[in-house]
Amino acid sequence: MNALRRQRALADYTIAALSRRKVKNLALVAVFSLVVFLLASAMFFASALRQEADAALEGAPDLIVQQLSLGRQAMISADLIDDLASIRGVRDVRGRLWGYYYDRVSGANYTVMVPEAGQMPPPGQVIIGEGIARARGLEWQGAPLFLSRKQGDLNRFDVAQTFESDSALLTADLLLMNAADFRAFFSVPEDMFTDLAASVRNPRERATVVDKASRAMPDARFVTRDDIARTYMKLFDWREGMMVALAAVAMLAFAIFAADKASGLSAEEAREIGILKAIGWDTRDVIAMKLWEGGFVSLGAFLLGTTAAYAHVFWAGAPLFAPVLKGWAVIYPAFRLAPGVDLSELVVLLLLTTLPYAAATVVPVWRAASADPDAVMR
Amino acid sequence: MITLSDVSKIYNEGRPNAVTALHAVTLTIARGGVTVFMGPSGSGKTTLLSLVGCMARPSTGRITLDGAPVSGLPERFLTDLRRRHFGFVFQRFNLIRGLTVLDNVMLPAAPLGEDPRAVQARALARLEALGLGPKALMPVEVLSGGETQRAAIARALVNDAPVLIADEPTANLDTALTHRFLDIVAALRDQGKTVLLTSHDPRIIAAAPVSAVVEMRDGQVVEVRS
Ligand SMILES: Nc1ncnc2c1ncn2[C@@H]1O[C@H](COP(=O)(O)OP(=O)(O)OP(=O)(O)O)[C@@H](O)[C@H]1O
Ligand SMILES: [Mg+2]
Repeated sequence: MNALRRQRALADYTIAALSRRKVKNLALVAVFSLVVFLLASAMFFASALRQEADAALEGAPDLIVQQLSLGRQAMISADLIDDLASIRGVRDVRGRLWGYYYDRVSGANYTVMVPEAGQMPPPGQVIIGEGIARARGLEWQGAPLFLSRKQGDLNRFDVAQTFESDSALLTADLLLMNAADFRAFFSVPEDMFTDLAASVRNPRERATVVDKASRAMPDARFVTRDDIARTYMKLFDWREGMMVALAAVAMLAFAIFAADKASGLSAEEAREIGILKAIGWDTRDVIAMKLWEGGFVSLGAFLLGTTAAYAHVFWAGAPLFAPVLKGWAVIYPAFRLAPGVDLSELVVLLLLTTLPYAAATVVPVWRAASADPDAVMR
Repeated sequence: MITLSDVSKIYNEGRPNAVTALHAVTLTIARGGVTVFMGPSGSGKTTLLSLVGCMARPSTGRITLDGAPVSGLPERFLTDLRRRHFGFVFQRFNLIRGLTVLDNVMLPAAPLGEDPRAVQARALARLEALGLGPKALMPVEVLSGGETQRAAIARALVNDAPVLIADEPTANLDTALTHRFLDIVAALRDQGKTVLLTSHDPRIIAAAPVSAVVEMRDGQVVEVRS
């Protein structure tokens, strides 16, 4: 009870003391919050990207077969489906239809795909990503979407539905079509596909399967799930690298800030500590009071900074990181990252912001508070 | 009983700017009396009070409080002694700017973990006794010199410490307020408390509650009158 009341009294004092220098302390919290904001934004963004990568990989097939013609990807013949399926260990071979469509109206590239049977929209209907809906202003269900490949040829599709997906990055510019519509719209012959996708019964057999298949199909290129994973890794590593650089800058700012704090107390603060000691405050009391102060400042900054970062990354779509994201999708600023916060990372950030700050405040205070207080006698 | 035997205090010892503020002082201060320290400026009055009040340690010599030696104790024991035994009125008041008068007066009680309402009631009573009741919620920097001094006195009294140490407590008070202060001192003495004062003020020295006057010069005690 006594100890509790004592802390209560010390905290009360701290609040009174903090409110004296409102401008200075608010400025302090503001600067501190900004640092936390940058760090937390980078952190949220990086983990959102990682989540995107995981989501992308989850849907990726074990093996993709592409037809090469003069070293470039071409349409692949449906005949090869049976050839591939006849290789031991391979199952579920399907031909995929997908491609890119440049939409002159919105000036953006869409990824047009024919989904698997279960999700196939009926003829004349499409399912579109949020980005497209926004870019074309298709607010209601059943809105018509006009697409044209060449002058004078206008195709009408009805928007059956807009995507609800965890992975906005991947679905923002996605347009799903019926297979027949796709072939008609892009003039793809009946026996051709964009590429083939297959699953391999045993993941360890992938290399053997690729080996056998490449002998049977000399003009094909094989992309395994591992290759895709590696590509994503590279892509995200690079993006994360940028984040790390940014985080480093923020840390540096914080270090400078903490060093300044640690370098000493103002004469006024030192005198105040002397007075408190002289009238019977223990070194422990003074330090506890300063810890309360540091706690209020750094916790306040942490809450402010992380909340702002959450809003920045998940609501506003991380506009500060736009340069990092450019090239991902032309529709870019219109997507939202799926909110997801890694609790352990948040705890690390909390410790990272409060502990060094506490240490930086306590050391000089401890030094001042362990000296004899007789200087205040005169 | 507080005793000093052969106590010296040298500031900046061993350096070219060393100052001997007290020189081999031997003195006994009775408990339950009012002792006034007098002497010219720089004679060592404040230094002596800071040693007795456990704010600093003597360079040589020994100080005891009720028979227990205090001069060699580490800082945290000295803090504890300060908290339990002394209330201080500093020559320059040392109120904390930006806080209200009441908050300042309550400060010495903060580390004790008492019921805040009890502390506040006590603080208000002290302020009332010194005529500062109406100013309790004002920030200390708007007080006049005499009001500041009284706020400092109220703060020294808030913990009911057995020893009041007051360095020039009436320098800024007019005759009426000085008498008010002396009434408080008399009341403290009647409660069996010990009061140590420094003063140049003849009104204080002539006042009824004073039981001993210690005359200092050049860091030494030259005369003790009881
Ligand atoms: N921290 C210090 N460093 C150096 N010299 C000091 C220090 N504190 C006090 N002195 C010196 O010690 C001497 C005694 O000072 P002290 O304050 O005890 O005098 P005093 O009797 O209280 O004077 P006054 O009546 O003016 O308050 C003075 O010469 C002063 O300059
Ligand atoms: Mg003095």
